[in-house]
Amino acid sequence: MAHNYVVTAHKQTAVTSCVTGNFTSPNDLNLIVAKNYRLEIYLVTPEGLRPLKEVGIYGKIAVMKLYKSGNDKKDSLFILTARYNAMILECSGEGENMEIITRTQGNVADKIGKPSETGIIAIIDPDCRVIGLRLYDGLLKIIPLEKDSSEIKAYNIRIEELCIQDIAFLYGCANPTVVIIHQDAHGRHVKTREISLRDKEFAKTSWKQDNVETEAAMLLPVPEPYGGALIIGQESITYHNGQNYVTIAPPIIKQSTVTCYGKVDPNGSRYLLGDLAGHLFMLVLEKEEKMDGTVTVRDIKIELLGEVSIPECLTYLDNGVVFIGSRFGDSQLVKLNVTPDDNNSYVTVMETFTNLAPIVDMTIVDLDRQGQGQLVTCSGAYKEGSLRIIRNGIGIHEQASIDLPGIKGIWALKMGSSGNPSVDDTVVLSFVGQTRVLMLNGEEMEETEIPGLTADQQTFFCGNVGKDSVLQITTGSVRLISVNTKQKLSEWTPPDGKMLNVVACNHGQVLCAAGRELYYLEMEDDTQVVLKTHVTLDYEVACLDLTPISIGSQQNTTVSKAEVCAVGLWTDISARLLKLPTLEEFHKEPLGGEIIPRSILMALFEGTPYLLVALGDGSLFYFSMNPVTKLLGDRKKVTLGTQPTVLRPFRSQSTVNVFACSDRPTVIYSSNHKLVFSNVNLKEVAHMCPLNSEAYPDSLVLATDTAVTIGTIDEIQKLHIRTVPLGESPRRIAYQENTQTFGVITSRVDIVESSGLTPARQSASTQAQSVSSSSSLGSAIKAPVSTRDSCGSGGGAEIGQEIEVYNLLIVDQHSFAVLHAHQFMQNEYALSIVSTRLGDDVNPYYVVGTALVVPEESEPKQGRIVLFQWADGKLTTVAEKEVKGACYSLVDFNSKILAAINNVVRLYEWTAEKELRLECSNFNHIIALYLKRKGDFILVGDLMRSITLLQYKTMEGSFEEMARDSNPNWMSAVEILDDDTFLGAENSFNLFVCQKDSAATTEEERQQLTEVGRFHLGDMVNVFRHGSLVMDHAAETLTTPTQGCVLFGTVHGAIGVVTQLPSEFYHFLSEVQTRMARVIKPVGKIEHSFWRSFATERKVEPCEGFIDGDLIESFLDLSSDKMKEVATGLQMDDGSGMKREATVEDIIKLIEDLTRIH
Amino acid sequence: MTATAEFLKGLPSYNENNFTRFHSDASSKVSVKRPSVYLPTKEYPSEQIIVTEKTNILLRYLHQQWERKNKKRESANEVEEGGSAKKRPRLDTSV
Repeated sequence: MAHNYVVTAHKQTAVTSCVTGNFTSPNDLNLIVAKNYRLEIYLVTPEGLRPLKEVGIYGKIAVMKLYKSGNDKKDSLFILTARYNAMILECSGEGENMEIITRTQGNVADKIGKPSETGIIAIIDPDCRVIGLRLYDGLLKIIPLEKDSSEIKAYNIRIEELCIQDIAFLYGCANPTVVIIHQDAHGRHVKTREISLRDKEFAKTSWKQDNVETEAAMLLPVPEPYGGALIIGQESITYHNGQNYVTIAPPIIKQSTVTCYGKVDPNGSRYLLGDLAGHLFMLVLEKEEKMDGTVTVRDIKIELLGEVSIPECLTYLDNGVVFIGSRFGDSQLVKLNVTPDDNNSYVTVMETFTNLAPIVDMTIVDLDRQGQGQLVTCSGAYKEGSLRIIRNGIGIHEQASIDLPGIKGIWALKMGSSGNPSVDDTVVLSFVGQTRVLMLNGEEMEETEIPGLTADQQTFFCGNVGKDSVLQITTGSVRLISVNTKQKLSEWTPPDGKMLNVVACNHGQVLCAAGRELYYLEMEDDTQVVLKTHVTLDYEVACLDLTPISIGSQQNTTVSKAEVCAVGLWTDISARLLKLPTLEEFHKEPLGGEIIPRSILMALFEGTPYLLVALGDGSLFYFSMNPVTKLLGDRKKVTLGTQPTVLRPFRSQSTVNVFACSDRPTVIYSSNHKLVFSNVNLKEVAHMCPLNSEAYPDSLVLATDTAVTIGTIDEIQKLHIRTVPLGESPRRIAYQENTQTFGVITSRVDIVESSGLTPARQSASTQAQSVSSSSSLGSAIKAPVSTRDSCGSGGGAEIGQEIEVYNLLIVDQHSFAVLHAHQFMQNEYALSIVSTRLGDDVNPYYVVGTALVVPEESEPKQGRIVLFQWADGKLTTVAEKEVKGACYSLVDFNSKILAAINNVVRLYEWTAEKELRLECSNFNHIIALYLKRKGDFILVGDLMRSITLLQYKTMEGSFEEMARDSNPNWMSAVEILDDDTFLGAENSFNLFVCQKDSAATTEEERQQLTEVGRFHLGDMVNVFRHGSLVMDHAAETLTTPTQGCVLFGTVHGAIGVVTQLPSEFYHFLSEVQTRMARVIKPVGKIEHSFWRSFATERKVEPCEGFIDGDLIESFLDLSSDKMKEVATGLQMDDGSGMKREATVEDIIKLIEDLTRIH
Repeated sequence: MTATAEFLKGLPSYNENNFTRFHSDASSKVSVKRPSVYLPTKEYPSEQIIVTEKTNILLRYLHQQWERKNKKRESANEVEEGGSAKKRPRLDTSV
């Protein structure tokens, strides 16, 4: 049995569809964006787009349309999924009470029928009488939109035209009338057909136009008064309405293909068009008023507005703002301007939405050497191609640094020297036995003195208090200094010459402890601090805090006073809460163990007060505090580091965060009312304070053992994505540790001109610091003469034709600068890359597999394996080997090279003569596309014959086929989970797991891989990689036992995790999953079991051997009564093998731990 | 003024305030706002269900043809019968 847990670590980001309308209320203008199987609902506001809700659909969204029927004030949302579930959704309620109501739903699949190659098309009659669905060739399914009946009977009507390119409903027709572009042996034709709803068939053809442009592919129905439709082709645009006919063939649209449009004016006189090159056009219908008062189209005008992300869809929002949804690059919010900018563009980008899609390849590296993986993906395509560096945790970007060892504390002060009283201009540094002051002068820092400040003692606290005073607490005293005169105003010394050792302070209150003695002081008249209370505690004080945390105070901490303080004690290892000003204890929380608390902090996260207690061993307890009684509850513990931890609050985007300074610095913040612990990309931080100076706004000062650093912090979120734009399509990536570089294979588009090839645009390979190229002269391969004269010229290609040019880029791992670009031969496609050492050779090489693509050949017959060495800033071709086919995959194999070449898996060894020599081969594949190895085992993913397991026999020097999966799966990625378990992804968006049964009795059974796990992911996996995005140590402290971790990247830009579970835990989660599926009422009423069932064109089988982590983890977002509903009656192992009833808290703990694996 | 600029005049405005207070940090135009996840736990009975008519297209077509023919024949018959009705002889001959 397979026990796998699959969960999304980063949700898909490719936008597949977008619509605008009044969905959430009649007065709300909404943008609804579809991202594969999720909807995002936004509200258009004066401030921009405001995210309202994300709605998961149990199906890939094939079509999404908004429509407003009859007297409706709000729009309804029609959705059709790829597995033919249709639904009509409405929105009720507002804000947090918003509900999505499934008004109509049903499956519209037919038992027979050939799914159309041009995809699913759904159209809605402008008068909302019917919905038309083109799902199968030769049929148009009609859904009558009857509001009152409880059952809608959809029916098929026969459509003679088999190959339909596009179909649309025309405006202003007495009966619903479609216009179609269809193709036959003679070309493409446009035709209208009126639907008779009574007879359930096509009635008549009102007009048609044979032989329109051969590449005409898109229809835009034009509203009244014009009526008719626009026919968009590759080179021409035609308007036709039966009587009137206008065609234009503007040169500007020929460069690329128009793929999407958006209506601008409700009357349909202006449209936005987007093409595959990212051009945004405005199309205008010029009207002519006839004598009889009718209006007709006189002319079509089209103008280029500018360049945007390559659009998949676009929609006009309001006041000249347009949303551009992209699959290949970041989606954008753009503004159309009447006046062009310096680049003659009428488009300004207002906002971009990060998109990783399509993730074509990726690699996991630990660049910072902290035991935490970073993912580097080949993302996007064409001009949107980029590398993305994805890191779990928060980055600090260093702005300035000074070497200063031995810092014991740092504080930023406002001394008013810069003339702006609201910014910090001074930093106070505390050392053993002394205190030093640095003044910030622009970006410079210089040491200075403040006369009133004690310099010969260690400072425990220093900060601005009251209106214009500074408070300094040292071992010997608490002193108040005037900001204006810089002189001491007053001083308080502890009685009996006691030495202070722990202090806490806010804007007007002070707590100091000397051993067991605790003193509470308050500031009076801005000029003195006065002792209010003194108590002797049971044990010595280890840490103190008096952050004011009353509700409503988070915006203005300067005026609020703390009503309670928190104390951590030695000896009994407890956290206690005392009332102020009486210092009367009202709550005691024993922490257990022998490690003393080193830092205690009360913090208000998203309106919920928490108490955090960090111990000397790097672990952290956190409790929620009752806002009224201030009593503690929900005790939880996490391990942040291994050394004593100091907690410091700071603000970022006006929310409270806590910086935990330790050997593994962490930022603590709240998301969805849950505390999140996010690693920081620094090795060690001893102390920290926020700094907001003129030169360093919104920064942090961080002290390590040896230095002080000023840096800015990334926005607080879990996964951080850095983009390195390439401007061309990245295909494959490999990392070479020795040279600290990445090898990246890219392809760019060049245009054949009379003088040779010219890149269509500047991109990474054309702007590299140095370049080289493979030449067919002197190469192992003599290129076919018919297709190429010599390298570099246009050869046999026609002038103006676009040609793909492949490059190997050497990219620096730190700066991500392109150090070198090596261009492959014309028609040579680089398909695979690996970095490895070979034989006894100590040099690391980049090995690249290629194919020579000749258009006349059905599959490549020639290719190369080329070895490159990057050394001393130069790329050398060390060796090359001609192979008979396309080298789809390369894997290092015990200092040899394993290659998948067309239908053969071959092993090459590296000889002393520095040549690749074929050692052995394995045939019996259709096309071997993917290779993975573990020890002597090799997993082969085939184009259409699923997966095969090979073993390399060292003694014989040959391959032996161990087992294969006999299911006809078309593979998109494969991975080895363990010696007997194999993971595959296939092209109908499913995952499966196969197992080898070595113990089977018969030879035949042993040669069979048994399918033990099946799961519908709903997204195509392009790449699997072993590795993790979280710190190694984070996994150690988890109570949930997960084994192994495989990351995957998808076509829609999602990153997911597959991990294995022990049987016991799997069955427990399986039970939770069943209950969750009952509690969550899916939008569209598609059953969870249907959604996750393994479905291809040939078969549907129930999900098995996989837990849907996305469903499981949504438990944490349920209301407490729903959590209870899930938990009731659930049995769990209490650790001793005994079963007991699971509580809500048990489940929360387990699932929170599960969320920490990604 | 160019033709393009002319095209871009008078773009539709549904609420003139929309996007007027749009504020983007010059440093970062990248949006990190994400909508919260909607978790439906309330059951709303669906008002309407879409079902596909089971009738085969060919059968439906034949039925329709048959009905049409029948109708024609019926109407033809009706005409005849109607005609004959007019000519129905008076049975009551007592008057």
